[in-house]
Amino acid sequence: MSIIKTENVCKSFGTVEVLKNINLTVEPGEVVVIIGPSGAGKSTYLRSLNRLEKNTSGKIWIDDILMEDRVNGKNLVKMNSKERAEILLEMGMVFQRFNLFPHKTALQNVMLAPMNVKGVSEKDARAKATELLERVGLGDKLDSYPSKLSGGQQQRVAIARALAMDPKIMLFDEPTSALDPELVGDVLNVMKQLAEDGMTMLVVTHEMGFAREVADRVIFMYDGVILEEGAPEEIFTNPKHERTRQFLQSVL
Amino acid sequence: MMESINKIIGWMPALIQSTGVTLALSVTSVAAALVFAVFLALGKISRNAVISKICGGYIFFFRGTPLLMQLFFIYYTMPQLVPALNIQSRFFAAWLAFTLNVAAYLAEIIRAAIQSIDKGQMEAARALGLTRSQAMRLVIIPQAYRRMIPPICNEFVMVLKDTSLVSIIALTDLTYQTKIIASNKASALVYIPAMLIYLVITGVFTFIFNRLEKKLSIYE
Ligand SMILES: Nc1ncnc2c1ncn2[C@@H]1O[C@H](COP(=O)(O)OP(=O)(O)OP(=O)(O)O)[C@@H](O)[C@H]1O
Ligand SMILES: [Mg+2]
Repeated sequence: MSIIKTENVCKSFGTVEVLKNINLTVEPGEVVVIIGPSGAGKSTYLRSLNRLEKNTSGKIWIDDILMEDRVNGKNLVKMNSKERAEILLEMGMVFQRFNLFPHKTALQNVMLAPMNVKGVSEKDARAKATELLERVGLGDKLDSYPSKLSGGQQQRVAIARALAMDPKIMLFDEPTSALDPELVGDVLNVMKQLAEDGMTMLVVTHEMGFAREVADRVIFMYDGVILEEGAPEEIFTNPKHERTRQFLQSVL
Repeated sequence: MMESINKIIGWMPALIQSTGVTLALSVTSVAAALVFAVFLALGKISRNAVISKICGGYIFFFRGTPLLMQLFFIYYTMPQLVPALNIQSRFFAAWLAFTLNVAAYLAEIIRAAIQSIDKGQMEAARALGLTRSQAMRLVIIPQAYRRMIPPICNEFVMVLKDTSLVSIIALTDLTYQTKIIASNKASALVYIPAMLIYLVITGVFTFIFNRLEKKLSIYE
């Protein structure tokens, strides 16, 4: 019983191989932190899980359902689009640059998908969005437009927006990299809380403190492959690979 | 001096009446073109290659040939090629030419505005489970729409002036009426009130559009 499983996932952009046979299994409730230098393929891997990127080859299971079995870019899994969309909804995603909808208030950002994708009534969507925004510490910013919020606040709205769809899995792609240092803590605290509540999380980050404290497992990616993985203590104190050691030295 | 002013006042009813034609032509053709242009723009950025090529070809053709020729074509050439397509009404011929032509320009404005929206917006919408068309309708277009307002207003003001071309098929717009007066009365004075009328109209519209633009940019 795994919640995410990928087998030999490969991705090329033209002739450039960005992912080379990525094999990973994530258990429900696990927090996996992915680290690695720029260009390692971390974002591409996360994006391939929720189909923002289409793999060249390999298999992906979500909740033990085979979603993709690609050969030469062609998906051999036949599934009707409604069913596929429903399974993809089990994953929420948080982006480095927040990507909030600037023409909508914080509340409207959070309400949009439940109302339009799940057909939730406006009243219920509002109640839930309010509760989520309160949970991320933004109960007083419900009617603010993103342009009036700090980066840290925007990112917390983005987290609330993803949570509003009741995902089982949250994908975070460098959620704090675009933030001023003093705003990072608030976002990490929200993520920590989420982890404690049992959310399955895949987090690409350079925040080693967070990885050490919250991760069940740390994965080091380099040049399109998973070079090393293990418990945070193991990776941070006793990296097996020279590349891992070099990378950790450069970021710690 | 007094005499000239009296003359000009005497011409005003005819000038104002023909101004109505100019306004009606500009407003109705731009309005129709706007609707058509939305489809052309969405067609051009469609992932369906055939639709995209057809819309792209249409835009290329109407932007790549002179409006005056398009007008001639519709009014003179088309009836010769296909007699059933003989357009009797000068106004309708002019309206059709402007609508078809302006749609191509507006489509490019709309397409550019849509494509200027950060790619992250579509990705965030898709990651939340919205379909591509929902994302377009709820996320992309509402943002793009604010960016299109200024260039669309510009285009409208251009069209307002370009309608003077229709005098070539003897449609009595403001320019044609002015020319008639100038030659009948042998007085070139009439160009002064005529130009002032154009200026007032474009001025009024520019003012309205500026207000509109300010009102729409509240969230930024
Ligand atoms: N759309 C694309 N087209 C072409 N090449 C791409 C595209 N997206 C990513 N790449 C390339 O794929 C490689 C991996 O990119 P990716 O964004 O996954 O790296 P990353 O590990 O997330 O790096 P970073 O820490 O800088 O975010 C890079 O070499 C990048 O240039
Ligand atoms: Mg990245």
